[in-house]
Amino acid sequence: MSKEAARHSRFNELAEAYGTDLYRYAMWICGNDALAKDLVQETFLRAWKALDSLNDIGAAKSWLITILRREYARTFERKVPKFTDVDTVVVPEETELEPDDRTELRQLRQGILGLPEKYREPLLMQVVLGYSCKEIAAALNISDSAVMTQLFRAREQLKAQLQKDGVTGNVHGLF
Amino acid sequence: MSMDFSEFQRRLGADPSDPALAKERTSGPEFEEAAVAAQDFEQVLIKALCIPAPNDLLDNLKSIPTRLPGTGQKKPWALALAASLLMTAGAVGLLWNTEPAWDSVDEYVADHYRHDGYMLVEMVGSHSGDEARALLARFDVGLADEFADVVSVVKSCPTPDGKGVHMVLNTAEGPITVIYMPKTTVNDREMLEFDELQAMLVQLDSGSAAIIGNTVEQVAGLYPMVDRAIRPYTERS
Repeated sequence: MSKEAARHSRFNELAEAYGTDLYRYAMWICGNDALAKDLVQETFLRAWKALDSLNDIGAAKSWLITILRREYARTFERKVPKFTDVDTVVVPEETELEPDDRTELRQLRQGILGLPEKYREPLLMQVVLGYSCKEIAAALNISDSAVMTQLFRAREQLKAQLQKDGVTGNVHGLF
Repeated sequence: MSMDFSEFQRRLGADPSDPALAKERTSGPEFEEAAVAAQDFEQVLIKALCIPAPNDLLDNLKSIPTRLPGTGQKKPWALALAASLLMTAGAVGLLWNTEPAWDSVDEYVADHYRHDGYMLVEMVGSHSGDEARALLARFDVGLADEFADVVSVVKSCPTPDGKGVHMVLNTAEGPITVIYMPKTTVNDREMLEFDELQAMLVQLDSGSAAIIGNTVEQVAGLYPMVDRAIRPYTERS
């Protein structure tokens, strides 16, 4: 395999492995489908250009997330993205759900979008990206205990929001 | 030493999958109950967060290398042309074209719009008719008042055949993008679709344009105005 072909192959592996997770992460931090796609495109564009600087493939995920977060920060400097209704992106997969479950998911998603960024981002890193508390702490440059507090509060706020909305659904015994 | 219940709850809320919590579950019925409730909530949370990605996401990402200048398969004539351009640049100044190459107008419209089209639509606000006229004048075309009066954002942009003009119109139906391509030929009134947007290509007397909006009605409704408003200077004088 030529050097260029190997580079393409490596890039495709990154896209396969992390493209979907990065889109989900981007979608939840910006709340805007078009912007999320743009952020992921831009992230992978930069990744392609700098691919030779990635020596440790095990560090690829955090490398990509760092690029995406920087790109998002740059976007945020230029404009404040409008939060959209996340239902526009997720409706297709949920036709098989019962109405109560759909309501529960919808309200939970609205709750996630409504979380303060300092709570939402660690939660996304943990649930969507599979980061450990230590990895989140390193990515956000905060202490492990601060991460644990923010994760705890994020979940508590979401549970409280669901309770306030009167949702019980399948989440028995939560409250 | 085992942890107390409030600490157990705090750690459960921070990381329900923490293996250190597994043995604490047996400390009492309230521990077990809290752990089960946390697992239930986690399942719903995962379901809520793991939204499906667009079907074309991975294909679009994988195609990035081939859409960049200097990558992908190069045709021999293109390499020869590039070489001659570089040599010319040494003699007459910097002429190197950094614009990406697109295989079709369809590809260009979608790719270019994704680059900054969404952002420019968000910037709709001030009136920029004079600026639009100034940019279009470089290509020897003028702009009728009915068009100039609603132009809100203007910038020079790449097209498949050199520079063009990217404009956002502030219409009663909402912002609509018009990209003027001075040297590109298109199939008049051909419709394109990308990212849930609709686009119509317009073959003008001088150059062409792409109208991009949210609905077919929006872009088709603007077609007559675009067709009559962007005219070569000779026709308008």
